[in-house]
Parts: sequence; C-alpha cells; structure tokens
Amino acid sequence: MASLLTYLLRRILFMIPVFIAVSVITFLITNAAGDPIKLIRLSFKTLTPTQLQQLISFYHLDQPLYARYFQWLGEFLTGNLGISLQGGTVADKIVPWIGTTLELQLLALVFSLGIGIPVGIYSAKHQYSKSDVAVTSTAIFGVSMPTFWLGIMLILIFSVYLHWLPSFGFISPYPPYWWGNYYLDAIAHLILPVLVLTFVSVATIVRLIRANMLEVLRQDYVLAARASGLKESTITFRYALKNAVTPVVTIVGLSFGFLLAGAPGLETTFTWPGLGYAFVLAATVLDLPVVQGITMIITLLVLIANLGTDLMYAYLDPRVRLS
Amino acid sequence: MGFFVFLMVFGFFLAPYPVRDFGCLYQGCTNLPPFTDWAHPLGTENSGIDVYSEILNGTPNDLFVGIGATVISVAIGVLVGAIAGYGRGFSSAILLGFTQVFLTLPVLIIILLFARVFVLLVAGGFGLPLITLILGVFGWPTIALVARGEILRIRELEFVQAARALGAGNRRILFRHIVPNMLSPIIVISTLLIAGNILTEVIISFLGFGDPNTSTWGLLLQEGFAYIRTEWWVSLFPGLAVVFCVLGFNLMGDGLSDALNPRLRE
Repeated sequence: MASLLTYLLRRILFMIPVFIAVSVITFLITNAAGDPIKLIRLSFKTLTPTQLQQLISFYHLDQPLYARYFQWLGEFLTGNLGISLQGGTVADKIVPWIGTTLELQLLALVFSLGIGIPVGIYSAKHQYSKSDVAVTSTAIFGVSMPTFWLGIMLILIFSVYLHWLPSFGFISPYPPYWWGNYYLDAIAHLILPVLVLTFVSVATIVRLIRANMLEVLRQDYVLAARASGLKESTITFRYALKNAVTPVVTIVGLSFGFLLAGAPGLETTFTWPGLGYAFVLAATVLDLPVVQGITMIITLLVLIANLGTDLMYAYLDPRVRLS
Repeated sequence: MGFFVFLMVFGFFLAPYPVRDFGCLYQGCTNLPPFTDWAHPLGTENSGIDVYSEILNGTPNDLFVGIGATVISVAIGVLVGAIAGYGRGFSSAILLGFTQVFLTLPVLIIILLFARVFVLLVAGGFGLPLITLILGVFGWPTIALVARGEILRIRELEFVQAARALGAGNRRILFRHIVPNMLSPIIVISTLLIAGNILTEVIISFLGFGDPNTSTWGLLLQEGFAYIRTEWWVSLFPGLAVVFCVLGFNLMGDGLSDALNPRLRE
C-alpha cells in the first residue's frame, strides 16, 4: 500500500512540469497573436486616452511579459480565468462546455471498450479467418479516416437524405422535439456523434488488443497452461487477457487525451456545444482569454485522465508499483 | 500508395485547371453535380472550383506536409533518443523526462493554436511549410522513445562489444554500428506518422486554420461542409482521397512491421 502511495505521489509530481510547459506555451502563443487592446480597437474605433490607460492597466500591459505570466497563472490557479472579449467571464462560459464534451467522450469510451475488447480477442483467437480479415480491414479503415469526415458522411446519409436524425446541436431549442419528447430528443442528438467517436476509437482498440493477444498467446506460459490441460476459456481470459490488457490501459488513457484534444473537428461538424467547438469559435475570432482558458482546462482533463490510467496500470501490473 | 506518390510528382501537370481557379464563376458552371459534364468529372462547388482538379492540386501539398513533418520528427526523435539511450546519467534522464512531458501534452489543441496564430502572423504563402514545421516539432516523442528502446537493446549485443574492444569511439559506435541497426522499427513508425500527419493537416485546414490560398483536401472539405445540404459531392470526393492516401500509408506501415518482425510470422 505504501508503495502505491509513493507511486501516486511520483505521478502527481510528474504532472507539474507538464502543466507548466503547457501554460508557458499557451501564454506565449496567445501573446504573440497580439495584445487584446488592438483587438478591442477593431470594434471600438474611438477610445479616449483615459479609456486606453484603463485598458492597459487592466491587462497589465505596462508590466514585463514574465510578470504578466505569473499574474495570469496565479489567477488561473485561483479559478479566475479572465474576461472574454465577447463579454462575460471565461469561467462562466467554459463550465457548461466541459459537461457536454465529457458526456460525448465518456459515452464513446464506454461503448468502444465494450465493443473493442471482445472483438479484439475474438479476432486474435481466429487469426487469418474470414471474420478476422473483415474485422482488421474495417479497423484499418477506421484509423485512416478523418473523424469529422465520417461525421459529415453520416450527416449526409441520416439527416440530409433520410431525415432520421438531427445533424447539429445537442438538444432542440424549442418544440417540435425529435421523437416527441425532450429526453428522447437529447438521445437523438447524441446518436451520430457518439457513433462516429465509437467507431474511430473501436478501430484503435481492436487493433491493439488483437496485436497484444497474438503476442501473448505465443508465450511459453500459455503453451505450458495448454499442456497442463486447462480449459481454452481459462487460458484466454485468466492467463492471456490480463497481460494483453495492461498495455491497452495506457493507450486508452492516452487516446482519451487524444480524443479530447481531437474534439474540435468532430464537435464543429456536429455543432456540438463543447470545449472543442468553443475553442474553434474563439480561436477564429481571436478571443484569446477564452482560447487560453480552454487550452488549460483540456490540459487539466488530459492530466487527470493520465493519472487515472497510471493508477489502473499500477493496479493491474504489480511490477509498476515496485520499480 | 505508389499511385499517390505518382500524383504528388505529377499532380500539378495532370490537374486540368490552375490552383483555386474560379473560372466557372464567369462561365455559369457552378454547382455542377458529378458525372454530368466531362469537363468537370467530379462536379464543381458553389464558387466554381472544380473538385477533381482541386483534389489533384491538393495531393502534392498534403503529401508534402505529411512527409516533410515526419522527416523533421525523425531527425529530432532519433537524435534525442540516441542521446537518451546511449548516454548514462543526468543528461539522458533529463531528455527522457522532457520526452515524457512532450508525450503528455494535448498536442492537437496546441498545434491548432500554433497554426492559427502563426499562419495569421506570417505573410500568406508560407502557411504550408509552417504547418509542416509545427507538426514536425510536435511529432518526435514517440520516435525518440522507440529509438531509445532500440539503442538500449542493441548496445548490449556482442557486435557492439566487439567494436568497443577494437577501440571504436562512442560516436563511431553510435552512428556506424547502432543507428543502422535500429532503422527498421523507425521506418515502420514513421510510415504510420506520415498517415497521422496527413490527418492532422486535414483537420487544421478543415477548421479554417490553414492557409486559405493553398489547395489542400481539408480546405475543399471545409467548402463542402458549408454547402452540405445541396452539394454532397464536394464533401465526398476529397474525403475519399484522404481515406485512400492515409489507408495506403497505414497498410504500408502494417506490412513493413509484419515483414520486419519475424516473431509475428508463422
């Protein structure tokens, strides 16, 4: 138990440099884009000198860059994300987006694990059979597709031609609702984006599980287990799967981060009001405080996901704890 | 695959119309569906751009980004991996930590941020090399980790010991004996990385963060998405081009990895 605790502590310590690196990058990049006053001037052409002076002191532009960085980081850590150039505080804007993004991502993750692991095992057990070839070729199509393009194709088929499902948003703003009910309406809006995300991540998971299972099933201890007359299902699930799944846990954690960071494309396609779509909108009009806030929040979510992965990993593989 | 490399070299000559040609706007052939007029086999979009011609014009650009960024990543990755794997002590620990920090970054968001800001700052026309550079600079950590693992394995082998016994220096051992032996996994990873880089480039230009004056598949997809209700062909065909190209690289990576990994053969 103590070893697990030190392990956890080490992982948390590791997160700090990552967080600092992202914050420095984000801060420098957004500052390179120009200072907020130039952007404000685009819409308010006539600023009096006093207004200008107030803006400069509000954004601390009279101070050197590093001082502004520490001020900005300090305020971020206390939960003050600044004020959007389009009005409203960034924190108020971001919080509902976190929920909608996570709803989409977690649903897709659950579905893709539920489908990906059994299919991967089956495919590895029946290597080079017809179904295995079908599974692997579908999977390689899945990883070769831009996520958003699959979304566009599904919108074309199911919304534009068949009119079966809604193509944008996460709920109808006013009646008539899809399928006659507010809750069913929310589900109808979820189907297409979750389907796309699930398909793409199932493809990755199936490929991984299959490759790992093939590797593990070739090991001597599996041969030994088979020689001692154990049932095939015992060998597969108790002996092989546990060793095949451990690397997958890492990849799932990483790919959760990847999916989260990949949200912009998909969420833009479905006009899904989450972090990714908000990021694209804010970056397009250069609403820099919002862009900074979203980048930092996504980094935090990714780091939390990684921590969860590390814990899972330590639980599944005792060697990790001890080293 | 070979087909796409062929297109990369000859794409510019095969394309019937110049880059981002709005000629149809004046000839009244906008919004043509595909397979109706053989002057525009895959149709034209709302502002008169010929889809078939644009796909061909985009091919060299997308492959340039995919391959160029991978070359940059491999150069950085092998160098970092070699130092981290061969050296002992402080510098290698630092480099390893640095690699892991890089691996945890939410790269796509940061790449989008970079692309948005720098394509805006730098005058037009340099958008593509810039995106290549950004992708390359953020793509190296996996390669560095693979290179390090390979070096740790190879440097304990007998022939390296023999070279050392013969009095070869560190640099000679590293670059003459170890690096040539770790090329095969690096080649596999870089083929897959090319595929990934092309996908990322498509996302960047689809979101409108790329250079609006350069033909890329993503830009065409963006234009198609704006008219999705009326013009399905502008979304379908460039997407198919992306899928087949990326599929080609992925299949090549898989094939190479099967061919180079004797353990998986029966």
